Amino acid sequence: MTFEIRAEGVDVEEIMRSIRKRIEEKKQGLYTDEEVREIAEHRLDAVLDAHEFNSDFISDFRAEPARWNFGFEPETIYRSSRGAVGRALRAVRGLLSPVQKLFWNPNPMISALSRQSDLNSYFVHLLHNLAVEITRLNLEVQDLKNRNLQLQGRLEMQARREKTLESMVVYREGAAPPGPGPGGSGPGGSAAG
Amino acid sequence: MRLAFVVQRYGLDVSGGAEYHCRLVAERLARRAQVEVLTTCASDYITWANVYPEGAETLNGVRVRRFPVERPRDPYRFRDWSRQVMRPGHDEADELRWLEEEGPFSPALVRHVAARRADHDVFVFFSYRYYTTYHGLRALDRRALLVPTAEDDGIHRLAIFAPFFRLPGAIAYNSVEEREMIRAVSGNEAVPGEVVGVGSALPEAADPARFRRRNGLDGRFVLYVGRIDRNKGCDQLFEHFLRYRRDTGSPLRLVLAGQPVLPVPDDPAIVPLGFVPDQDKWDALAAADVLVMPSFFESLSMVTLEAWWAERPVLANGKCEVLRGQCRRANAGLYYSTYDEFREALALLESDEALRRALGASGRRYFEAHYAWDVIERKYDDLIAVVRSANEPASRPDRARDPSRDRAAG
Repeated sequence: MTFEIRAEGVDVEEIMRSIRKRIEEKKQGLYTDEEVREIAEHRLDAVLDAHEFNSDFISDFRAEPARWNFGFEPETIYRSSRGAVGRALRAVRGLLSPVQKLFWNPNPMISALSRQSDLNSYFVHLLHNLAVEITRLNLEVQDLKNRNLQLQGRLEMQARREKTLESMVVYREGAAPPGPGPGGSGPGGSAAG
Repeated sequence: MRLAFVVQRYGLDVSGGAEYHCRLVAERLARRAQVEVLTTCASDYITWANVYPEGAETLNGVRVRRFPVERPRDPYRFRDWSRQVMRPGHDEADELRWLEEEGPFSPALVRHVAARRADHDVFVFFSYRYYTTYHGLRALDRRALLVPTAEDDGIHRLAIFAPFFRLPGAIAYNSVEEREMIRAVSGNEAVPGEVVGVGSALPEAADPARFRRRNGLDGRFVLYVGRIDRNKGCDQLFEHFLRYRRDTGSPLRLVLAGQPVLPVPDDPAIVPLGFVPDQDKWDALAAADVLVMPSFFESLSMVTLEAWWAERPVLANGKCEVLRGQCRRANAGLYYSTYDEFREALALLESDEALRRALGASGRRYFEAHYAWDVIERKYDDLIAVVRSANEPASRPDRARDPSRDRAAG
């Protein structure tokens, strides 16, 4: 970014406009600083909607599988939860099972639900690992973009320094001395008031 | 010409922008007018404890009369009342109580102002927000010249101040932004006003090498002058500056000249010097590449003007309207509202010597045109003349019909 320094002075507003434009160009397609900070601070929850995804879900799921999933075995359809009466009921159902098999075949349903229960567990673990991996990749990409920006900034700074040094070399070889610099005449040179 | 300056604190060792501002103007005008300063015995604004002896003394050729503060400030009660008046649903009585709690509560000073109104041609009041200014000025109204030194901190919006800003005979503002801010809340366009500001006690000469030698500093640096305080935006400055060094690999250092009331990061890139005498400040300005002014609230940044006199560019907090306006008008400083703007603006100032030189020269021209003492004194003379003419017997009938006075009375 270069500015033409006119003899009558500079235009601060013009410089500020250029600075803002340059920042906009650099930031195109990138997260803002605030967004990056938020992601770094909240990790999973900031990337995935907290209402849709709970990053602690997998540990809850492992601790209490019965709360989140259903278990299904061949005996499940005959069980009862009514204590001693339930046990009697279970025995009667067992006795009558050959009769009910005359009306329908429960085996495919038992097999399907049993497999579905196992699949539920499998999908929960798979989705959780994918979400963790995507989040990690997201942060890594952001970090790389930031590093890229930093390197770009350093490169431009070096280019400006190089240009300044080149102009100094030209001055030393030339005959004309420069105008008074910031430390030239010294601020005490023309005291006002 | 007999002038009275009314200010909450006054003394050679009193730190505070408005108080220092008052002392500089009083000492300057005392060269050709009979000046008396009416103030309290307090030396600090936290407690308003009576430190100086009551009665008269002479400081730097200015007669000073001190009055006791009857009740020190209770910081907890003051905090509670401050919260109360910042909430909706309070009334004017609450605001007056807040003012009393803020202090300095010195009814003796107010009584003296009211009783001796004929002893002085004009009373110059500094800082609108204090008990002594509010009640003292109301005892005089048009015989008063007010120097509000108002910041955009919300206090000026309290209901008691809208009619108050319509009372004085004239107002000396510190900046265009301050004038607009006060006009917006009070509609006091009819009160004669001028953007005046203040000059500085300029040095005979400044020696950058002496500053570097004395403080063992080599290499280029950015300078901050003032109290190192969160209220002055210093915490944000530290964060931005250290990040800037990491991002750009810049060798710049940040030198701090002022008393720290905030922990300074333990980093070799930040050099805290503590309080520095006036001459050292000027030497530091001469040695620095850039002055940085991170404050969010300023009525007038004297050190910014001093940097411009020393032909140094300024990097200011753009969220402070006064600083942003000054940088634009002077064409002598860049400003930032975000870290990205800070980084780009500082990188530009660091790398472009021609730009630094041009901004510095522009700042110097702006200072000479608006803040040289002869300019300041001429503006004060004009405002004092306005106040005096408004109080001459022949002009009183006209004044009675002054619309701003009618509004104030209403």
